[in-house]
Amino acid sequence: MDAGVTKLLYDVHHQTTFAWLISIYFYFTGLSAGSFVVSTMSYGFGMKMYKPISRIAVITATMCLMIAPIALLMQVGWPIRSIWNHFAYLNFHSPMTYGAFLLVGYPVVCIFYALYMFRDNARMTKLLGSIGIPTAIATHGYTGFILAFGKARAYWNTALMPTLFLVSAIVSGLALMVLIVMIIFRFIKQERRVPADIVEGLAKILAWAIVVDLFLTFCDIAVLSISHEGAQEMAWLVLGGGFTPLFVGVENLIGKVLPMIVCFVPALRRNHLALAIACALVVIGIFFMRYVTVFGGQVLPLM
Amino acid sequence: MDERKVRWGFLIDLRKCIGCQTCEVTCKMENGVHLGVWRSWVKKVEKGAYPRTTRGFLPLLCNNCEKPICVTVCPVNANQQRPDGIVTFNPHRCVGCRYCMASCPYEVRYLHPLKRIVEKCNWCHHRIDAGLRPACVEACPTGARVFGNLMDPDSEIRRLMAQHHVSVLQPEMGTQPQVYYIDYDEEVFATKRPFRWKWR
Repeated sequence: MDAGVTKLLYDVHHQTTFAWLISIYFYFTGLSAGSFVVSTMSYGFGMKMYKPISRIAVITATMCLMIAPIALLMQVGWPIRSIWNHFAYLNFHSPMTYGAFLLVGYPVVCIFYALYMFRDNARMTKLLGSIGIPTAIATHGYTGFILAFGKARAYWNTALMPTLFLVSAIVSGLALMVLIVMIIFRFIKQERRVPADIVEGLAKILAWAIVVDLFLTFCDIAVLSISHEGAQEMAWLVLGGGFTPLFVGVENLIGKVLPMIVCFVPALRRNHLALAIACALVVIGIFFMRYVTVFGGQVLPLM
Repeated sequence: MDERKVRWGFLIDLRKCIGCQTCEVTCKMENGVHLGVWRSWVKKVEKGAYPRTTRGFLPLLCNNCEKPICVTVCPVNANQQRPDGIVTFNPHRCVGCRYCMASCPYEVRYLHPLKRIVEKCNWCHHRIDAGLRPACVEACPTGARVFGNLMDPDSEIRRLMAQHHVSVLQPEMGTQPQVYYIDYDEEVFATKRPFRWKWR
């Protein structure tokens, strides 16, 4: 609306609902789901070359999942009451209800999966891995549904949101795993040598995951920019408004395009310092993806 | 066909609204609304430039929608819709997750700063159940706010709705809001606060 014609004199705005803490929560569940996918590569999908990093990956997945609910409980007004009420009063129309069960069930699966993996019980590991993959995907996918069900916000209310969240979870999990594997094999393990085939193999998968992520982001923004008025305002906000530095710059250019080039070009991929920096950028970029989606999606006033 | 005997509705005649904010103050007194938050308020917009200018008012409150999204998304069933259409919140069950605040298209919900639960306007259902009208309707000095039973063809609200063009806010959200406006100005609604960047 033209500011010269009408002027707002008085209005009430209460508060922005979801901010940093929910972004952190989504980010860590994403990292956890991505790491879990990496850990099941050797047992579930038969990629035997990734066997040495399965244990590192499952520990990372479990650790990330321990941080995530802390941020969630700091966000809600009544943490103890929320733990009880989520199971006592069920509303099966709400994605958050399913989330409560997943956030309790997924760590249990994770811990038993890790237990059997450390005991070298291949059969049970494979069984729990095949249970764990859908659980991990659901635990992160439901967060996309939470946002998609917030139908007042044009940026959230899209059927693409769960898929977008899942793909970015896999991207961030893969990047974190490359980074952690490099650090552990370079500085902590006895051989002091980074396993080149594992790291570069993960980098190749990471590159293709980033391609899918960029494609989905493009679809989302492209449809948003020709949709109804609120959606167009939102598209303008991320493409040419207040959130452009974070969305275009940090999230997509530094966080996706640059690492994608590093992961695709063989000469750069073999330079492990460049690969480590690229993966660190991905991990940072996906955090800002969560932040822009959660916080940026609701800064525009509706009334 | 709706078989209910009672479905409460709210009508605001903007031709009569003078922007005095009595409804705001009365609501605070009746419901003990905490400092810094409001259940009902009047949005004020100045239109035009000096010789040809006017002020537009838009009293806002919970629409108590027929298909409330807050009831759908509440994970603990704290928000519930009564048979007469009023959407209530249960302060003993709410955990303060704020999901309903994020999904409400009308931004009428707020987090109580001390109790850390989400509250909203419930059309003073304690007064309605006692046979009274909501406090803001009672206090409105010009009679701009009308409250009544939408199922009763002889009620004042039905009579006014039959004789005038009425509008609701954001019908495209599909929540079927039940606060109707006479002489609703789209420009007043579309004038929104500017977006300010805050790192939080």
